[in-house]
Amino acid sequence: MTRIFAVALGILTAIGGFLDIGDMVTNAVVGSRFGLSLAWVVVVGVGGICVFAHMAGKVAAVSGRATFEVIRERLGPRLAVANLGASFAINLLTLTAEVGGVALALQLASSVHYLAWVPLAALAVWFVIWRVRFQLMENVTGLVGLLLIGFAVAFFLLGPDWNELGRQVMQVLPSSESPFTYWFYAVALFGAALTPYEVFFFSSGAVEEGWTTKDLAESRANVLVGFPLGGILSIAIAGCAAIVLLPAGIEVTTLSQVVLPVQEAGGRLLLAVAILGIVAATFGAALETTLSAGYTLAQFFGWTWGKFRAPAAAARFHVTMAICLIIGLGVLATGADPIMVTEISVVFSAAALPLTYLPILIVANDPDYMGSHVNGRWLNAIGQVYLAVILVVSVAAIPLLVITGVGQ
Amino acid sequence: MNMPQLPMPPARPEGRLLDVRLSLLDRQVLDVGDEPVGVVDDVEFDDAGDGVLAPGTPPPQLRNLVHGPILLERIFGGRRPRAHFDRIPWSAVAELGSAVRLAVEASAVPVGWLEGWLATNVIRRIPGGRHVPR
Repeated sequence: MTRIFAVALGILTAIGGFLDIGDMVTNAVVGSRFGLSLAWVVVVGVGGICVFAHMAGKVAAVSGRATFEVIRERLGPRLAVANLGASFAINLLTLTAEVGGVALALQLASSVHYLAWVPLAALAVWFVIWRVRFQLMENVTGLVGLLLIGFAVAFFLLGPDWNELGRQVMQVLPSSESPFTYWFYAVALFGAALTPYEVFFFSSGAVEEGWTTKDLAESRANVLVGFPLGGILSIAIAGCAAIVLLPAGIEVTTLSQVVLPVQEAGGRLLLAVAILGIVAATFGAALETTLSAGYTLAQFFGWTWGKFRAPAAAARFHVTMAICLIIGLGVLATGADPIMVTEISVVFSAAALPLTYLPILIVANDPDYMGSHVNGRWLNAIGQVYLAVILVVSVAAIPLLVITGVGQ
Repeated sequence: MNMPQLPMPPARPEGRLLDVRLSLLDRQVLDVGDEPVGVVDDVEFDDAGDGVLAPGTPPPQLRNLVHGPILLERIFGGRRPRAHFDRIPWSAVAELGSAVRLAVEASAVPVGWLEGWLATNVIRRIPGGRHVPR
């Protein structure tokens, strides 16, 4: 059992971070409009998050320094405060979307309006952060989140037409949509895969769990199991939408449409499983984004932080998180559509990526931090290729958002 | 052409050569028990007067790490009165690495009031605020 739980941080980061509400919605939207012709972006994105989460985890395990400490130290206060502003704002947007996502999933399960669930969801997130031990939190949300495998089961139950899906996978730029829209969704998927809070959470989680150089193998296993699993489930969600919603001409705008193919394939039982998975995954993501809000601010200013401390020993950290949850509640209370918030947050997050990933790559090469564990030649080569991709994506993100009018 | 004679650079002092900007500024500060104290937001040297040293005077020495609100001046510029600095004396520094480790407890150096105020007036009053999550 301990071996299973050993990869729990990776699975929670993947289920709650990779497969958050942003990923689920974006993948379903993409599947319903482009079939599987953007599946390659998910594969590229999984590769990217594996490379950089691995480096961030390694830096944290060897030096004890979490990612935002590294960002501050390498970029200096001015650039780091710019990154902090951008990351924190995006994170707040994502947090809002995740809390809304939990509420939307509970609405699907209960038929009670989601706005009634929003305060309960936020209170539950706060309580878990306040009282529940880190390991317990990640094991429970990670394991329940695995129920998202329901989407993969549905994919096979739907009896896919493999020739058609194969044709879609090979077809870059379908003629039915404008190239700008296609690339807009490519950027959104990439941004959803590499959302910075994933590395903030993963590296800070490594510190919370007290990882040392002895845990490097575990860190690697976490990354190599967790994120590809998240990627496979992402493609399963897109595939389900491609099989059921694309031919029917249904464009995804609500969470109930995301799970429509699951119901068609496996009836109410499979639907219940998938919804439970969505609740756990969005809840996990809400925990991660809330904690990341505290982690980034605390690490930038050098405050005490972490769930391994009593809240009274990390007062500013806990007050920050509570305020962020209250702001998220306020935004949702205005009736803002959580799905829309999600789609915007992944694109902005794509624009802000380089300021987070460049310092990680630099410090992973610094013997002052890493001693003999500096990056090898291959890891550096891959990291640099991804950094180039990240730069292109970040420059293209906002113009594409404007040109396409958020992918319309 | 008559080149002015440049003075020879002083002999390199014994010990470890440190680039303050690269290896000291913006690093985390941990106390003797590895508890975070803050970040090296600035450093304070001996007062060099008007900035020009008379020949023969010893070079200014690093006296204190400064942390806290001085970060604002590093980002936006400006200058606050020296009396308002939160100083950690250089003599309290035990080790330089990926973080600056002190030889003293966090309670022995000046820290901002906000953490203590929030802990006393907010966090400790909420049930469970004094216990490590289980």
